[in-house]
Amino acid sequence: MFIKRQLAIVVMISMGFLALAGQFINSDNLREFTDKDAPQWYMIIAAFAAFLGCINLLQLHSTKVIRRKKDWQYSIFTLVGFLLMIFFGFLYNGSTVGLGPHLKNEFSAFYWMYNYVYLPLSSTMFALLAFFVASASYRAFRIRNFEATLLLISGVLLMLGRVPIGALIPWWTVIIIYLSILFALFASKIKNKQVFFYSYFGANIFILILGFLLGWHVNLPSFLSIPLIQEWIMAVPATAGSRAIMIGIALGVVAQSFRIITGRERSILGD
Amino acid sequence: MKKINIYKDFILFFTFPVILIILYFINPSQLFVTGNQTSFIAILISCVTFEFFIRKAKNGENFYMRPIPAMQAMEEAVGRATEMGSSVLFVPGISGLDEIDTISGVIILGHVAGMVAEYEADLHVPCCVPIVMEAAKESCKEAYLKKGRPDLYNDSKIHYVTDDQFAYAAGVNGIMLREKPAAVFYQGKFYAESLLLAETGSSVGAIQIAGTGSSSQIPFFVTSCDYVLIGEEFYAASAYLSGSPEMIGSIKGQDYVKLLCMVLIGFVVLVSFFNFLNITQLDISSFFKINISN
Repeated sequence: MFIKRQLAIVVMISMGFLALAGQFINSDNLREFTDKDAPQWYMIIAAFAAFLGCINLLQLHSTKVIRRKKDWQYSIFTLVGFLLMIFFGFLYNGSTVGLGPHLKNEFSAFYWMYNYVYLPLSSTMFALLAFFVASASYRAFRIRNFEATLLLISGVLLMLGRVPIGALIPWWTVIIIYLSILFALFASKIKNKQVFFYSYFGANIFILILGFLLGWHVNLPSFLSIPLIQEWIMAVPATAGSRAIMIGIALGVVAQSFRIITGRERSILGD
Repeated sequence: MKKINIYKDFILFFTFPVILIILYFINPSQLFVTGNQTSFIAILISCVTFEFFIRKAKNGENFYMRPIPAMQAMEEAVGRATEMGSSVLFVPGISGLDEIDTISGVIILGHVAGMVAEYEADLHVPCCVPIVMEAAKESCKEAYLKKGRPDLYNDSKIHYVTDDQFAYAAGVNGIMLREKPAAVFYQGKFYAESLLLAETGSSVGAIQIAGTGSSSQIPFFVTSCDYVLIGEEFYAASAYLSGSPEMIGSIKGQDYVKLLCMVLIGFVVLVSFFNFLNITQLDISSFFKINISN
């Protein structure tokens, strides 16, 4: 009980304070411990845990196959894949170099399995992300409320600004887009459709004439250039929002670390 | 007696930190790392504030905690899974225990396991890192024991899948599609697999609650999940769920440090504005620079 509870807490607290002291105390030994030794200890412990992971995987899937549990067929694939890679990694070489360096030799069976089975499967999973991004964007961009509308507008501007065609969009099109967004926001307030149409049409004509008079077709103001708008969205509102979240995260990390190294948060040790 | 306490508090929360700061600046026999004073002061102020509010909470002072929908929804999600006869899936991320996010995720897992034990539902925890699996097993076992239901604990439901990012995503997606869990928790460190997991969870109709410290993954979770613990909420979750005064005091302390940060940001903006108008010529950013020389 002492080893499982008190000793674990003592180790947790002392290591926490040592790691923190390593940032401020001018001692080479302490810094070497926090920068090199402690991470190496973690790696050694993690390596032992890797064995536990492999045993757990084998145990779980072989039990599933032996007892014919639900969806046991999938476990056969897992077990075959696992054993095959062990066979090619530890027993069968297939190349002229010795066991060990054969893992990086392009003529070894292990290397072939890695290149022609593992990498394509991994890339396939990564490629699925494109479709999931599309479905997630569709859900996020659906106009439900004011925030979702803002997200849609900034999303469209960002997409246009990031592709070459965005730079080719003329200033008058951008003005029409602005006015359309503005009128779309106030559309529900104007009941008479005729009034709405005439005001929308009139506003467009007025602003276009104004643009020509102000020489916007010669000297393009930055708010009418889609790539510049995109840059502004990324540099100002997006950065402000993400920095606010990052400050919160940093404070949360400090508070959580304080709770852990003062031994107040002990649930990680199962206490 | 009260007078002694006031003196004790004054020494602990004011005199002792001030002495430490002075010592750091004097730096006798090059004891401290020079150029790291700003970090030292910031950490010291934060720690003293946390400790002050923890003591206040311990002495019986009640603090108001803003209700966080994602935390309130955790019990609802477990209840929903029980009613539907489905399992609860908990994904602790893909990083090891050297990441504070994973530690926070495992701590939250302990609370969720407690709820699952209370409701007599099924809990499934696929892990990406073996050491996290061991920590998760320990955390869940204790949670079931605390709730008086060690008989419900199933060791095989907390298992290792793989270390590889996308293979893990494929494995967890497979579990979701086969088991159709009613509630899915994503609590830990996530990278590009976050959207793969969250979209699959959404497609099976599970109620999804996410929490991560990876700021780049928060938008994906916001899009696909029902509730998200954003920023510091994720780290405060364990303290919030435990309900102990000590923990809640530390959250209050965190809020005050945040207030201090806001005041500092306001001050920097003001000074920058005066600099712009040529009223002052103060290079405020130099105060916040860290320049470790030895």
